[in-house]
Amino acid sequence: MNLYLYIFRRLLYVIPVLFGVCLVIFVLFNLVAPDPAYTLLGKHATIQQINELHHELGMDKPFIVQYLDTVKTAFTFDFGYSWASKQNIWDMIKAGAGPSLSITGPLYILSSLLSISLALLVAYFRGKFIDKFVLVLSIVGLSIPSLAIILFGQWFFAYKLGWFEISGYENGFPNFIPYVILPIILYVFIFFGGDTRFYRAVILDEAYQDYVRTARSKGLSEYKVMFKHVLKNSMIPILTNLIIQIPSLILGLLLAETFFSIPGLGAMVVKAINNSDFPVIKAMTILSAFGFILFNVLTDVLYTVVDPRMKLK
Amino acid sequence: MKMRNILLTVMCSALLVLSGCTKKQDANEKVLNIVSPAEIKGYDPIQADDLYSGREISKIYEGLLQYHWLKMPYELVPNLAESLPEISKDGITYTFKLRKGVKFQDDIAFAGAKGREVEASDFVYSIKRLADSRNQATGWWVLDGKLKGLNEWREKNSKLAATNYDEEVEGVKALDKYTLQFKLAKKFPQFLYSLAMPFTYVVAKEVVAKYGKEFINHPIGTGPYILPIFDQGKKITYVKNPTFREKFYPSEASDEFKNLLSDAGKKLPLVEKVVVHVMVEPQPAWLKLNKGEIDYYSVPKDNFATAIKNNKLSDELVKKGFILEIAPQLDVTYTAFNFENKLFHNKKLRQAMYLAFDEAKSNTLFFNNTAFPAQSIIPPGIAGNIKDYKNPYKGLKLEEAKKMLAEAGYPGGKGLPEIKYDIPDSTPSRQAGEFFQKQMEQIGIKLKVVSSPWPEFQAKVKKKSVEIFGLAWGADYPDAENFLQLFYGPNKSPGANGSNYDNPQFNKEFVEATTMLDSPERTAKYEKLNKFLAEEVVALFGVHRQAYILEHGWLKNYHPTDLHHDAIQYLNIDTAKKAQLLKNF
Amino acid sequence: MSTEVKQSKSLLHSALLKVISEKLSLIALIIVGIYFLVAILTSAGILASDWNKEVGASYMPPSSSIIFGTDIFGRSVFQKVVKATETAVAIGIVVSCISILIGTTMGMIAGYFGGFIDELIVWFYTTFSSIPSIMLLVAIAFILGKGTMTVFLSLGVTSWVGLCRIVRAEVMKHKEREYVHAANAIGATHSRKLIKHILPNISHLLIINFTQTFDAAVKSEVILSFLGLGVVGRPSWGTMIDDSKLELSRGVWWQLAAATLAMFVIVLAFNILGDALRDALDPKLKGK
Repeated sequence: MNLYLYIFRRLLYVIPVLFGVCLVIFVLFNLVAPDPAYTLLGKHATIQQINELHHELGMDKPFIVQYLDTVKTAFTFDFGYSWASKQNIWDMIKAGAGPSLSITGPLYILSSLLSISLALLVAYFRGKFIDKFVLVLSIVGLSIPSLAIILFGQWFFAYKLGWFEISGYENGFPNFIPYVILPIILYVFIFFGGDTRFYRAVILDEAYQDYVRTARSKGLSEYKVMFKHVLKNSMIPILTNLIIQIPSLILGLLLAETFFSIPGLGAMVVKAINNSDFPVIKAMTILSAFGFILFNVLTDVLYTVVDPRMKLK
Repeated sequence: MKMRNILLTVMCSALLVLSGCTKKQDANEKVLNIVSPAEIKGYDPIQADDLYSGREISKIYEGLLQYHWLKMPYELVPNLAESLPEISKDGITYTFKLRKGVKFQDDIAFAGAKGREVEASDFVYSIKRLADSRNQATGWWVLDGKLKGLNEWREKNSKLAATNYDEEVEGVKALDKYTLQFKLAKKFPQFLYSLAMPFTYVVAKEVVAKYGKEFINHPIGTGPYILPIFDQGKKITYVKNPTFREKFYPSEASDEFKNLLSDAGKKLPLVEKVVVHVMVEPQPAWLKLNKGEIDYYSVPKDNFATAIKNNKLSDELVKKGFILEIAPQLDVTYTAFNFENKLFHNKKLRQAMYLAFDEAKSNTLFFNNTAFPAQSIIPPGIAGNIKDYKNPYKGLKLEEAKKMLAEAGYPGGKGLPEIKYDIPDSTPSRQAGEFFQKQMEQIGIKLKVVSSPWPEFQAKVKKKSVEIFGLAWGADYPDAENFLQLFYGPNKSPGANGSNYDNPQFNKEFVEATTMLDSPERTAKYEKLNKFLAEEVVALFGVHRQAYILEHGWLKNYHPTDLHHDAIQYLNIDTAKKAQLLKNF
Repeated sequence: MSTEVKQSKSLLHSALLKVISEKLSLIALIIVGIYFLVAILTSAGILASDWNKEVGASYMPPSSSIIFGTDIFGRSVFQKVVKATETAVAIGIVVSCISILIGTTMGMIAGYFGGFIDELIVWFYTTFSSIPSIMLLVAIAFILGKGTMTVFLSLGVTSWVGLCRIVRAEVMKHKEREYVHAANAIGATHSRKLIKHILPNISHLLIINFTQTFDAAVKSEVILSFLGLGVVGRPSWGTMIDDSKLELSRGVWWQLAAATLAMFVIVLAFNILGDALRDALDPKLKGK
């Protein structure tokens, strides 16, 4: 089978998965979620108004029609209007993507660089003091609740020391820079632990493969073994992990965006959850599912391109 | 290319870190910086059912009436109306004369992109728009059943293909360009309050037509400020409306506001620009206030201990020139019973629970002892509240509670099922829920605290699937009717009467009282109803809260208030003082 | 036919020996043991049974008599941390079990039967894993209302996919092994082959997965509590940390510190133990 056909086949797989995603979304939001009418109509609602709203929102249609509507949304990306803000959802997503990416983008690069380098370092010195030190440090980072880190960081660095803006955001480069630095720094600390541990495991996995042992027994220095063989070969799982994280960048950071008043997609999701704004929740779920599937296919393809040993199935 | 951009960003960031990242603020600019502690839903007056959207909308839109800025208790004064209306003897017909020369803000929706003059027909349109079932207005309840023919119009048009705004409705008519007439379906003196609420603000049909679904993001009113477009951001910047009519700062005040008269007679609004920062979390807002980047903010519950001692500001805050404003709020917190559940028809059980609740302690734990214990439902400041009244069943009276529970048929809680206590899921309400649970345990009543996300909590109450639940009610307008209606039978869920309390005698007297004009007789009736609800213990009334607001020394004319949605136009900044005070920061 | 099984047993045995022989992992094992013991003792009512009692004023700082200070209601924070261990261990065990049960069953069925069933299961978990777990968590909480059960289920249901993948791949390999063919020859039923023959040979995967899911679950409970979906009615580290969101600004740090410390120690222990087990159980890493 040639490569293009393979890619095409893998891409086709998006379709049944998207159907599945729609099914889950439909079950969750059309069948079992609490009736949004109560939230949308406020504290003085009347039964007549609720019925009218149900009709307006299409909630009185047969379930199969509602499911097909969801499917249609997923395949046309026509998400319609938010129930709460009455805005076009695409416009909302477009407006929120910039602020979210201005944090998650640099954060992604910085934390990946940091955790891969640390992982290499500790894999090289595995079992030594530095390995254990980084292990403990990563777990400290992992087990201190991110909320505490944000609260403390905002109070100490922005207020006490006055190094950064306390909160807020301005659109456009480079206006946003003063506002995003602090959240980025705090989240690098929050994220590096988990990533470092993951990459360390990947590199060590590779370090104990037979061929590495052979290389070592041939008298190659540990340094050479590490960089020439181990790193090269552990690149695939590392890259996979890197690529697979990309779709989640778009979801933004729920907590940080709320605390630093950044008008991103994370804040949008929190707002939508609080308002029972189902179209927005559905849109974000579909988008991130779509991104996830797409990038999954991408990593599969990458495997086959990079590693000729992989068979095209 | 993209990669390079990102690298550039990272490098610039590093540079900026070294040079310090904060922006200097300019004290000379007359800008007001304020906080909205909730997200703004949008700028459609008929959907403004939450306080915070209402406040934003009121910067741009206006209505016939408003509350006098410097008078307490609240006093209605004309705004877009020239004067208060002429009311017919039978209390049914209200005739308004409109102020002449009021213009809509300039927008491309109007001919020549120039805002035109407001006419009586605009109000007729705006009222119909509120009633149009296609708009799903959250504010419909203020007029539901109130105006002659309006409900019928709504009903009829909901069945047509499109709403017919040309069809005349008897209840709201433009007699000529500047004369507007309302006819009520039945006597309802509270009607005037609804004309000061954002729901009835005047909108232009050209603008609604032009923007359609996007109208909610393109506010074009008659008010003091303009907002070119609302982008759902976390920072909303308003600028002064250049075509705003001649409106002046009031020159009369009730005694407590005599000190706020230094700008009397000046043309409104007083500041050029208003920046609203949407900040849901208290910490960042509090920190920004302390840096002088925000002009006023309420003291967060958990910063209270460090900021305020014995109702006095801490020395550090005094040095920075802060002023503390304390004002009672028109609200009540309560724990309600669902009367659809027969268990709660047992009055002695309800009374026993109330007697077992340690109000003083809860006030200390959750309100830093700043709230007034609620003896009944109507808060102080509204006619119907009974001064110095003590509810005989208000706790903590543990021995009486135990006795009462035995009389109710459940000695020591024996025979009582576990009762579900529903709360919304914020951290403070979870703590309050736990506290209530512990209190009830003292007399052997077992509670199960169930917390749910706000939408789910609301849905449960509206679907009557709760047993007891915690709530707070803030006044929509300063009239006891707005509180007493919480227990009026026909308002049962999904209406505002979430307890589903339905007592024919109460219902009858409620209707009698609320159709009376303001008078000592009506106040006496309100007091009677209030006392009745209190002693029936239809709910465990908690507290009436107080606002504790910290303002900077450079902010002028400010006072905390619940109902002045349009407060911002009266506020002023003393730039010289600001420059001087900022030096101490 | 039984040689493979025996070998795996001895693998487990030697792995255990190895874990015990190393000082660091032995300490980790002991710490985990202590947490489990504390959990059992509190649930039996022997330890921290009066955590709900007031021992002093509200928000008393740590002192020699009240080691971690008191909370808003004047309860001992130390007692609450101890009581919360029960919640944490329960969440860890139940969530791991749910995740292992779903993951193993689905993975084994998919890997063993292959074909359409495999496609179906792969489709199912791909669908599932492509929905952001935060949305699933919120949705499940909407459906079930809140409480311990919701925490168990929502975490269990969102954490099985990884294991399912690994098990499926491993079973595919084992299916072709001799011992399975041998069992075929004597006419063993599918379920017998799966449970009696293949399962013991992949059990090391389950053990490794258990340690990972356990600490992920303990940590996720904190996130659920942030979202207001945590445990109600008894103390948990998540709700204690959530409380401190408000308390920090009034200078009350001890509840946060105590809960974080308790969580940190068990997460660290589980990580060390997990690493050690993995090193010992995963044949690839043998002979390090």
